[in-house]
Amino acid sequence: MIKAVFFTVLTVAFFYIIWINNIFAPHEHYEMPAQYAKIAEDVSYAKEGKQLFEQNCQSCHSVRYDAVYISSVQANPKLKTLQEQYGKVLPKNVYEAVFYEDLMGLKESFGKVPPDLSTMYLVKGKEYLYNFILEPQKVLPGTSMPAVMAGRPEETAKIVAYLKSVAEPSPEEKNKRVLMGVGTIAYLIVMGILLWVWRARVLKRMGLH
Amino acid sequence: MLGRIGRWLDERAHLSELWQSQMIDYKVPKNLTFPYAFGVMALVAFAIQIISGIFLTMYYQPNVHLAFDSANYTIMKEAPFMWLIRHVHAAGANFFLAVVYLHIFTGIYYNAYKKPRELTWIVGWLIYFVLLTTALTGYLLPWGQLSYWGMVVTSEIPTSIDSAPIIGKLKLGELVSVLMKGGYEIGQITLNRFFGLHIWLLPLILLALVGIHLYLVRAAGISNPEGKEIDKKKEGVPFHPYMTLKEGAYLMGYLAVFFFFVFFYMHHFLPPDNYDPANPFKTPAHIAPEWYLLAYYTIFRSIPDKFLGFVAFNLTLVFLLILPFLDFSPMRSARNRPLFFIMFIVLVISAMALTILGTMPPTPTNAMLGLTFTAGLFAFFLSLPIISIIEWGWYKAKGGDKQ
Repeated sequence: MIKAVFFTVLTVAFFYIIWINNIFAPHEHYEMPAQYAKIAEDVSYAKEGKQLFEQNCQSCHSVRYDAVYISSVQANPKLKTLQEQYGKVLPKNVYEAVFYEDLMGLKESFGKVPPDLSTMYLVKGKEYLYNFILEPQKVLPGTSMPAVMAGRPEETAKIVAYLKSVAEPSPEEKNKRVLMGVGTIAYLIVMGILLWVWRARVLKRMGLH
Repeated sequence: MLGRIGRWLDERAHLSELWQSQMIDYKVPKNLTFPYAFGVMALVAFAIQIISGIFLTMYYQPNVHLAFDSANYTIMKEAPFMWLIRHVHAAGANFFLAVVYLHIFTGIYYNAYKKPRELTWIVGWLIYFVLLTTALTGYLLPWGQLSYWGMVVTSEIPTSIDSAPIIGKLKLGELVSVLMKGGYEIGQITLNRFFGLHIWLLPLILLALVGIHLYLVRAAGISNPEGKEIDKKKEGVPFHPYMTLKEGAYLMGYLAVFFFFVFFYMHHFLPPDNYDPANPFKTPAHIAPEWYLLAYYTIFRSIPDKFLGFVAFNLTLVFLLILPFLDFSPMRSARNRPLFFIMFIVLVISAMALTILGTMPPTPTNAMLGLTFTAGLFAFFLSLPIISIIEWGWYKAKGGDKQ
């Protein structure tokens, strides 16, 4: 019994460290004022955020998964023709080949093509994005990203909310998933208990218990 | 009606005879403990991987330009319920390996590798090895930063053979590395190669090996936690319903935990860094293999010499393979073997510590700790022949060999 407890605790602790919270590995941590964190969390600001994105970021950055391309591409009549053929979200190779010159123009100015931001929220998280957009040089010294949003923390948070809305499933979808998850897990647990009870009965009848 | 169809089928296929002979007349020990269920959990995890994998290939595109978007846009956002399939496949891979590790450690603890089950152990080792390769090839497919850079590092590991004194001249490591990548850099050829391996060749090999493994378990009978062979006619209980219902109930518990992670905690299985598309010009800050390879990785990097490190981590695998021959003691199961039990704890703690060390930065202290636990790991394997000799002495003193 002691052995069973020992090995169980050891195994659970091991997987807790490896899968859930690795207390030994270094973690980067960024601070964010609570009132702006609340805005960045709330995807109902996404619409406003998208407008702010179009005004401040779109000249360099695309959000391809939302069919938002850099301004010069957006103004190009070819885009519409292509979208009729390939769908709103253009395949990456088609986008990069057709608008090669637009992207290379950006590369000439900034040293590299500014990244697409479709999944950036998932990669960096809201705290990093908020700090980086506000003060790029402080977070990533030497970056060619200009401090376009300097001194506008609330609007920055709204842009982050927009990026979140593109990267993550919508709140309704999330609720659906939670419901599905709870349902699935509850079903499995109930089935497990029923199996156990049924087994006890069967074994009693067979005289094996 | 259903009964008539059933009888019609049974008269022709003799299914009930098969069921009777294989499930009911098949007797197993009554005292099997909970860890014996890891085997069936691994089997279910394998089935989950195959089914979810087949669905993923319907949307995934093995093309360097499209792979990332097909995984993160088409699968995660466009196609209904494919997010669930991807979550299941990603978490399933981790759970499969976790269960396989637990299954291996259970086998070691109860000495399930001893005569007449050496072959079961060896086939099991092959499954483990092919499984690691499958996991490694599948890891490249989403074409994110971790996929790409993980593979850059992994494909460099064989080149450490080239720093060996004499055989290094043959450049064998470079050959292996080039064969893996299909060239000198990771690109379209690598992706296609890995895709083919991951969805066809390796799963088929696994399927065959798992079949052989199950046959061998049946042929040699299930081992016993007490370490003695049972008289099946007297002590055995029918596999169905005694074991099927018990393990079925455990299985439901396992699946409940699994689906908890699938629905609510994918942070580890779909890590944030891999949502960044692969970029050959941007090296990420922390590159480390997935957790199931970290112990080998720590052994490799703790040893200052590249070639020796390579030898050391491969030696671990070899030791694991020849475990039935290292341990030739007449006594079975850690329950009856105090010395073995102590060394087993050394093994478990070393393996866990090496894995956790792999997630930490490579400081000199960590390298020293890595070396210490590597020594612990090797001490387990190397102590087995010594323990066996001592136990032969005990066994003879009790007059065991005359029975």
